[in-house]
Amino acid sequence: MKTITTIKLIKLSASLFVVGFLANCTSTTVDEFRQGETGIESDQSIVILGRRQASDYETRSEFVECVGERMTRGEGAINVVPEQEFIDAMFPWFEPRTAPLRSRDLEQLMAEDVVARKMNEFGIRYIVWVDGRTETSGRTGSISCAVGPAGGGCFGFGTWEDDANFDARVWDVSSLRNVGTINTDATGQSYLPALVVPIPLIARVEANACSRLATQLKDFVNGS
Amino acid sequence: MKLVNATNKAILSRLTILFLTGLLTACGTSNVVIEGYFPTPNINKMPLSVAVYYDDSLREFAYMEYSETGREEINIESGLSHIQLFNAVLPAMFDQVVNVNSLEDAVSQNVDAVFAPAIEEFQLALPAKTKLDVYEVWIKYNMRLLTSEGDYIADWVLTSYGKTPTETFRSVEDGINEAAVVALRDLASSFSLSFAQIPEVRDWLSNL
Repeated sequence: MKTITTIKLIKLSASLFVVGFLANCTSTTVDEFRQGETGIESDQSIVILGRRQASDYETRSEFVECVGERMTRGEGAINVVPEQEFIDAMFPWFEPRTAPLRSRDLEQLMAEDVVARKMNEFGIRYIVWVDGRTETSGRTGSISCAVGPAGGGCFGFGTWEDDANFDARVWDVSSLRNVGTINTDATGQSYLPALVVPIPLIARVEANACSRLATQLKDFVNGS
Repeated sequence: MKLVNATNKAILSRLTILFLTGLLTACGTSNVVIEGYFPTPNINKMPLSVAVYYDDSLREFAYMEYSETGREEINIESGLSHIQLFNAVLPAMFDQVVNVNSLEDAVSQNVDAVFAPAIEEFQLALPAKTKLDVYEVWIKYNMRLLTSEGDYIADWVLTSYGKTPTETFRSVEDGINEAAVVALRDLASSFSLSFAQIPEVRDWLSNL
């Protein structure tokens, strides 16, 4: 009797895990819109900056860092100047209030000799503006936990959907033009079943968006 | 037996102290001293010698945030960080900058102008109250520019704003500090870039 119950429990847990594992996959869509020729020399670098002008959100610096870090790795690796180092060195020209919003503002900015000199020192060929966020929606389910003299445990089920949507605009510092835009949209459903112990099956939405955006950006900047 | 009782008593009294301390800390006011890094602006210097005067209200500036029941909740001290900020910004804007302890001291310094900033208003928005996922700080300043004799050159209002998103393991104090540092950087950027465009300042500069 006891053996049958144990087998049933194992089967239930295993099927829950498989269902969860399969269901928590992330789907990612990448759109590229090219407006100009690109290419980069080995002594040139790029900087990836997060947009922070919106009133209700700001692009997380961790995401910007993740994209930058991935672009410095593998085949066709690119020199990426760290965001904060660039903003501090360029202070006060790239603060949320003063940062150029359109590529034509860049022309005005580059007319400032101190800015042009610093940009040259860094060897910046492209400025990439990343704008977006990850939103969570459709939270459903509930989990209750209890502790007693004989031990404790949780029981229940929770699920939610994450949607990471990021735009990357590429500005060519030499031609002072916007040369293209890459949009990445990743969605995924996360699950949290709890049978005594909660088992989080988290969809790695932002990590996937970062990885796909970095790969696409690297190819775009290299001109391939 | 006596030894066991004594040990139990000691543990009990320690636990009571710990509980009471925790209770008092939970009910007390938390103090935030704004700390941050303020880079030197990358701008062209103006050929001016300026004396800067920080009055006591700026040096010791503190803002108290009250709870919805009127209890003192968070005390934010930002006087020192304002001075650090101006000390980083002003030498990048002007050829020569000297600190003076009073407006009268500026007369003997033979400078082109005396700069005296003042904080008029400080506002804080906490996620717990606004239900937004950001900490926000607004600061309103009154910037005064005087001749070394104390005559009026310009007097203008400048506002700065800073926000920072809430994060899972970030404390309220850290969130406030981050937002205040962004607001201070915002002040530095708008002050350094708009200084020469203030109509009274522009007129004064053209007559120098």
